[in-house]
Amino acid sequence: MQSPSRSHPAPVEHLKDVEQEKSLRPSSWLQWDVESCEWDILLFSTAVKLLLYHCYRSTDFEVHRNWLAITHSLPLSKWYYDTTSEWTLDYPPFFAYFEKLLSFPAAFIDPKIVEISNLNYDSWSVILYQRTTVILSELVLASVLLRFIRGSVDSSTQRIISASIFLHPGFLIIDHIHFQYNGFMFGILLWSILMARKGNKLASGILFSILLNFKHIYMYLAPAYFIYLLRSYCLAPSGRLQVKNFLALANAVIAVFVVSLGPFIAIGQLPQLLSRLFPFTRGLNHAYWAPNVWALVTATDRLLLQYVKRKGIDIAINASGVASTSRGLVGDTVFAVLPNIRPVHTFMATIFFQSICLVKLWITPTYKSFLTALTLCGYSSFLFGWHVHEKAILLVLVPLSLLAAERQAYFRTFIIVSVSGVFSLFPLLFTPGESIIKVVYSALWIMFVYVSLRKRVYEFPRTPALVVLDLVEKLYLAGFPLLLILINLFPALATSYRGSVTGAMEFLPLMATSVYCAIGVVWGFIRLLFVYLNEDRIYQGQLSEIQ
Amino acid sequence: MHKRGIREWVLPGALLASVLVKLGVGMGSYSGMGTPPMYGDYEAQRHWMELTVHLPIREWYSYDLPYWGLDYPPLTAYVSWLCGIIGTWIEPSWFALGKSRGIETPGSKVFMRSTVVLLDALVYVPALLMFLRIWQGSRSQRTQNNALLTLLFQPALLLIDFGHFQYNSVMLGLTLAAMNCFAMGRDLWGAVFFVLSLGFKQMALYYAPAIGTYLLVKCLYLGRPEGERLFLRLTAVTVSTFILLFLPFLPPFAHLSTLKQSLIRIFPFSRGLFEDKVANFWCATNVLIKWKNWASPDFLVKISTLLTAVGFLPSVVNMFYLGRKMQLAKSAAADTANNNSTAQPPFLALLPYALLASSMSFFLFSFQVHEKTILLPLMPMMLLLSGAQIDSPAYMWGALLNNTAVFSMWPLLKRDGLGLQYVATLVLWNRLIGYNPFRWPPKTLVHILSQGVFVAAFGLHLLEFVVTPPKRYPDLFPVLNVLVCTPVFLLGWLWAIKCGVEVGWALGGVGPVSAKAASANTEDTGSAPMGEKGRKEGERENGMSSGRRWNRAGSVEYSQTRRRGMAEGMEEEE
Repeated sequence: MQSPSRSHPAPVEHLKDVEQEKSLRPSSWLQWDVESCEWDILLFSTAVKLLLYHCYRSTDFEVHRNWLAITHSLPLSKWYYDTTSEWTLDYPPFFAYFEKLLSFPAAFIDPKIVEISNLNYDSWSVILYQRTTVILSELVLASVLLRFIRGSVDSSTQRIISASIFLHPGFLIIDHIHFQYNGFMFGILLWSILMARKGNKLASGILFSILLNFKHIYMYLAPAYFIYLLRSYCLAPSGRLQVKNFLALANAVIAVFVVSLGPFIAIGQLPQLLSRLFPFTRGLNHAYWAPNVWALVTATDRLLLQYVKRKGIDIAINASGVASTSRGLVGDTVFAVLPNIRPVHTFMATIFFQSICLVKLWITPTYKSFLTALTLCGYSSFLFGWHVHEKAILLVLVPLSLLAAERQAYFRTFIIVSVSGVFSLFPLLFTPGESIIKVVYSALWIMFVYVSLRKRVYEFPRTPALVVLDLVEKLYLAGFPLLLILINLFPALATSYRGSVTGAMEFLPLMATSVYCAIGVVWGFIRLLFVYLNEDRIYQGQLSEIQ
Repeated sequence: MHKRGIREWVLPGALLASVLVKLGVGMGSYSGMGTPPMYGDYEAQRHWMELTVHLPIREWYSYDLPYWGLDYPPLTAYVSWLCGIIGTWIEPSWFALGKSRGIETPGSKVFMRSTVVLLDALVYVPALLMFLRIWQGSRSQRTQNNALLTLLFQPALLLIDFGHFQYNSVMLGLTLAAMNCFAMGRDLWGAVFFVLSLGFKQMALYYAPAIGTYLLVKCLYLGRPEGERLFLRLTAVTVSTFILLFLPFLPPFAHLSTLKQSLIRIFPFSRGLFEDKVANFWCATNVLIKWKNWASPDFLVKISTLLTAVGFLPSVVNMFYLGRKMQLAKSAAADTANNNSTAQPPFLALLPYALLASSMSFFLFSFQVHEKTILLPLMPMMLLLSGAQIDSPAYMWGALLNNTAVFSMWPLLKRDGLGLQYVATLVLWNRLIGYNPFRWPPKTLVHILSQGVFVAAFGLHLLEFVVTPPKRYPDLFPVLNVLVCTPVFLLGWLWAIKCGVEVGWALGGVGPVSAKAASANTEDTGSAPMGEKGRKEGERENGMSSGRRWNRAGSVEYSQTRRRGMAEGMEEEE
């Protein structure tokens, strides 16, 4: 929604002027060039975010406050050992340094914020400060998204895409209400992608390794980076090794890791650090099932169990599986009927699907191919990974947004995955007031994205099969409002039916959300993989001219 | 972007975005949150729902008066009753009699907040949409959308209704609906709506002089048989609506003392001259003259009533004068053209200015004014602003008055813990209307004034942030706030009167009516829609120049092309 403020002239003419100006000026990161409608979007979103300061905040808020305290009042050698709070530091060192940086103003504003024993401190000062740092650090994302507009082939389309990423309900729900710093870190990821688009692959690699040292979840994307940089930067098209490039990249990446991990290696804390970063004691599913393949498998198992019980079929039933219904516990998920899943299975499945797209990336190491492969890499990890959080869906949604306006096929995939992905984030906010806000905001966002992009890419479905598919997908999307109504009315319905909501019934709305969203997310993966592997070389699309 | 099938989505988008902002403001604290034993306006409204659900009607105005006894007119009570019924159906503990006092569970908060958003969406927003279709129907979709955004995101109303917690938008929406009905020529419906508005909140009385005068002048304008008939009908409709509103309090249903009790509650003359610090004449002059020591309350009531009357008299007289002149013109031309009496009378364009002047004079001079009451003058001001071109006087004044009004409520908002919401809504709205008072150099007087006021406001905020007030003057900052705001409101009131007179001149001419002007007049009013369309087209071609010319007479952009054309004839006459 470009808020039509009266001060600017007709957008089209304005745009032309700016583009002409742009071609005259050398591009630099410091130049102050933000257009009026971009200011509108920034101000609108900031105003909305300011209004959300009072909202519910999850334990992640206290997690980050605790990290401010740890990094401020303890020496570096104790950062990864401290257990004063149950929310120990479990992000890589760069994020710890970032928190250290943030702790100086915090200590100036209110020294109580950085007191390590001051657990669950929630005065207005700390809320104001931490929420503000999220908004300010998100400016990294904003400025990178602006740079995306400036050099793009179709800047008006890219402007919509940039706006859609900046205003993404995922960021609003996770960062500004639930509380995390994803906007900032996705800013670095997009910066790295932007560098890849500009052909500055060394910078792209460096930025990505910096990002890895902020939050290690981005390892989901690492295979695509590895193959892309290796194929297109370290090897010549003929396949010969470009020694100079290779050494430059390798040294730079090593340097980044030395800066990050060096201090901890020097005092011999690397094993402790790694044990904090990778705790392998969790179950297959998170408390609330992330909408991935395992959610579908677990749901199938539950259904089969009911079926077996009803029919009295004589099959070996795993007794502990009957008990394990994943009732909001971070424990192991044990199946009752189906064979159990071990970490190694999830690992193999992930690698298998990743390598399919990596082969394609190896053959066509273009920017667009890289972007798709990157999305698919994150996607495979999300779908098949061990103990995946629902929040990780952003790893798919953000890069996929960049592809949204390529063609109808991409656009439709984007819409399906965005709707189901954002919907799957809804259970993060369960308080009544925030629940209304998340729905209204997401509806507004999807309306804005859908309406402004659909006509740019529209293609008529060509075969009867495609017409049917189109219809089925529309029906699926239309199911979301119904699902929303159902899960909200569920407590009232269940109470009037059974008297009270108990046991497994309590988690039925969550399961229903998870399974219904999983269908869309998995289908989106199949779509995207199919489109990627069958990509024609010549077609229209805003990224097609960028190598 | 605007070409690709987006246009039809702007309206739902804007409405949804405004709902989002309203809900967002509602996430914050409200008046009296977590402050037992009395809490604040939120608890008052909730308490009324509680008592109306559980008590018989005759006890509504007499139940436990010290704890937020009901003191709004019956329509508020009925609406509270309805909300209470629905709320009790969802969760009985929210409105349990006596036991629910001060209840602040997340569920009850969300319910209360959503009643405000829903009532706003049912009354105020439709009235705004109707207003744009009826009063600005001849303008482009884009202009109308801009106007809608201006109106929807008005920060003062957002902060008070959705932050502080009140239902002002219902009262304002009903008055606006009345204005819409007048513009459509459905005066009886308009009267019904205005009575409903009065019946929702007695504050709507601030508009009564303007609306009463309008209807009276219209009766005079229509002349003997028709005007009389209209007058009788209006009286009948008004009286019967009032009777209907108060029906449960009237003899067959209740003892007469019930009615008396409700009236005593609705019009409390026993309170002081003003409460807290409010940016009106009394509070501002109180710095020099301590009114309460100087005169008896009785005398003060009288003098404030007198001053208020003097305050709204100019605009009332102006409307009478214009109506009289128009009527003469009409009767002079009666034999040359057909009479189309059902159409809008020409002095309709005066109505917003009259509403502004009258409500502002009440705000400035009357008895027992709250700082929130500034919302009433703001409503007509916002309507004028929404139709004004950027940088026109109405635009500059509208932006200045609105921002000053929000600033004048700062002490209240600060007490409610709505500081962030204050910043966010102000920034958002000023950006939406494209307002930047600090553009240099300032061109007009009002522009210089705005800059001065805003510098003072920023300075005060900064000072308040840095300095703690000395013990001797704990109210230092609220008083300074009043001293900054009151002159602006006074000037706004004078401006409204000035504009009313100017528009009057433009419509009716300064001198006595000549036959030629009269005939020009009727030709215009009698012209067919087709002819009007042609003129509109012509105007679009030299839109700029005619627009310029117009700004002289305040922003009458409002008045539709018909009146525009007519008045142009008058100008030539001059």
